[in-house]
Amino acid sequence: MDLIVIGINHKTAPVEIREKLSFSPKEIIEANRLLKESVFLKESLILSTCNRVEIYALCDRGKDYLSGIKSFLGRYHGLGLSEYEERMYVREGREAVEHLFSVAAGLDSMVIGEMEISGQVKKAYQDARQGLSTGKVLNRLFEKALNTAKKIRTKTFIGQGAVSVSSVAVRLAEKILGRLDDKTVLIIGTGAVGEQLLLYLRKNDVKSILVTNRTLEKAQGLADTARATAVAFENFLDRLVDVDIVIASAGAPHHIIHKNDIASLMPRRKQQPLFIIDLAVPRDVDAGVNTVDNAYLYDIDDLKRIVDENMSLRKNELGDCSRIIGNAADIFMGWMAKENPAPSYRRRTAEEGVKGEM
Amino acid sequence: MPEFNFHILHQAIYLKIHSITIHIGYIAFFAASLAASLYIIQDNALKNKMIGVIFSRLPSLSFLDKLNYRSICLGFPMLTISVISGLIWAKNVYGIYWRGYNSRHFYSLILWLIYALILHVRLSARLGGRKVALLSIAAFFVIILTLFGACP
Repeated sequence: MDLIVIGINHKTAPVEIREKLSFSPKEIIEANRLLKESVFLKESLILSTCNRVEIYALCDRGKDYLSGIKSFLGRYHGLGLSEYEERMYVREGREAVEHLFSVAAGLDSMVIGEMEISGQVKKAYQDARQGLSTGKVLNRLFEKALNTAKKIRTKTFIGQGAVSVSSVAVRLAEKILGRLDDKTVLIIGTGAVGEQLLLYLRKNDVKSILVTNRTLEKAQGLADTARATAVAFENFLDRLVDVDIVIASAGAPHHIIHKNDIASLMPRRKQQPLFIIDLAVPRDVDAGVNTVDNAYLYDIDDLKRIVDENMSLRKNELGDCSRIIGNAADIFMGWMAKENPAPSYRRRTAEEGVKGEM
Repeated sequence: MPEFNFHILHQAIYLKIHSITIHIGYIAFFAASLAASLYIIQDNALKNKMIGVIFSRLPSLSFLDKLNYRSICLGFPMLTISVISGLIWAKNVYGIYWRGYNSRHFYSLILWLIYALILHVRLSARLGGRKVALLSIAAFFVIILTLFGACP
């Protein structure tokens, strides 16, 4: 029996094609059942996320099931084969096992090492079990895949380090300030990047948010969407006494926060640390602010550089990850050979057994 | 039956108080300086924007700062009690309180002043964070000097 995977992902197909071939959560259980019955597969499983549609199948050796699976996808979604056939990749046997293991660990994802995919693989596995399309082999394969993903996450740095500007900013804030749920954020200006970061901070449960802008109405507008308080631009410097995180994204032609402002502020803040994120270009905050004790200034390039560093840090871990995957695949293939011996192998052992008895 | 010597008992109590408090005090100061060292490492990383793997394993600045503060808050009264009981014990044994500038007494007094200064600048918010961390690392070197550099 043969284990195969056939599918498309973000590397081989644009979103226009992926979305046409994807299965919605509502139809996935039924689709699993339909696929197995219509193509006469021993076991099958559909993994459908926004970045990939893959079909894992166990089928009899020596017959062509690929065209059956491919045309099932076309029939199900009402698409012509030519629209997607050349985008599809196929892996068999050990390669299929290794492919699933790296997908489940997030090594095949758009953002390497992201965690979400493990949950999606688990969900796909549960759905397929519910559709009664998997059996002994795929069950064991997917449980192994989830275990291996967990092992990779704990034994390597693949999921370490934030890899988006917002998550880097939050991670830094936590490094400086500890818990965020008793901290106050002030945002200056109403730029899109700043707003995005603000909502991300809101998700991380900061205590309160202040918004200021040269035109108070705009500040009020953002304050309403982010459940925040608007502050008049003229006295935002005074409010900094109680603020822990400043996000500057005002489109000003000159600095609006100077080194002296912060230096004279520090005794009034009782030397509590202040984290300033300058997202504006040209910059809103004088770079000298970073030399003031207990003030930490990061501009957009600093954050982007950290994102890049963390990304390459993750890429460095790929070697270790593939070693872990190789070992896990060895174990699984060993189990497969014992459970489902290839015909030639079975005959030989039978003969030997007979000889031994004589 | 020999007469019980209350004088010796007295001495023993002061010595015991002295040794217990000074041990707790030194351990607290050690924790404070350890937290301070990690604070400086992390502060440098944050200021220079060198964010590596070690960085992600360290606790937050505010945690280290709190640990430093609370350890000193524990260590300082311990040091105070220990210096006083040590002085009384020394008076009983040697007959004098003050034994010159190369003695542990003198170094302990300096130590006491340094930690008093740290608590003062901290509570008055004159300095905070990095400078306090540097001070408590410096204070720990004085502890080592007190332990190994001075006549007992």
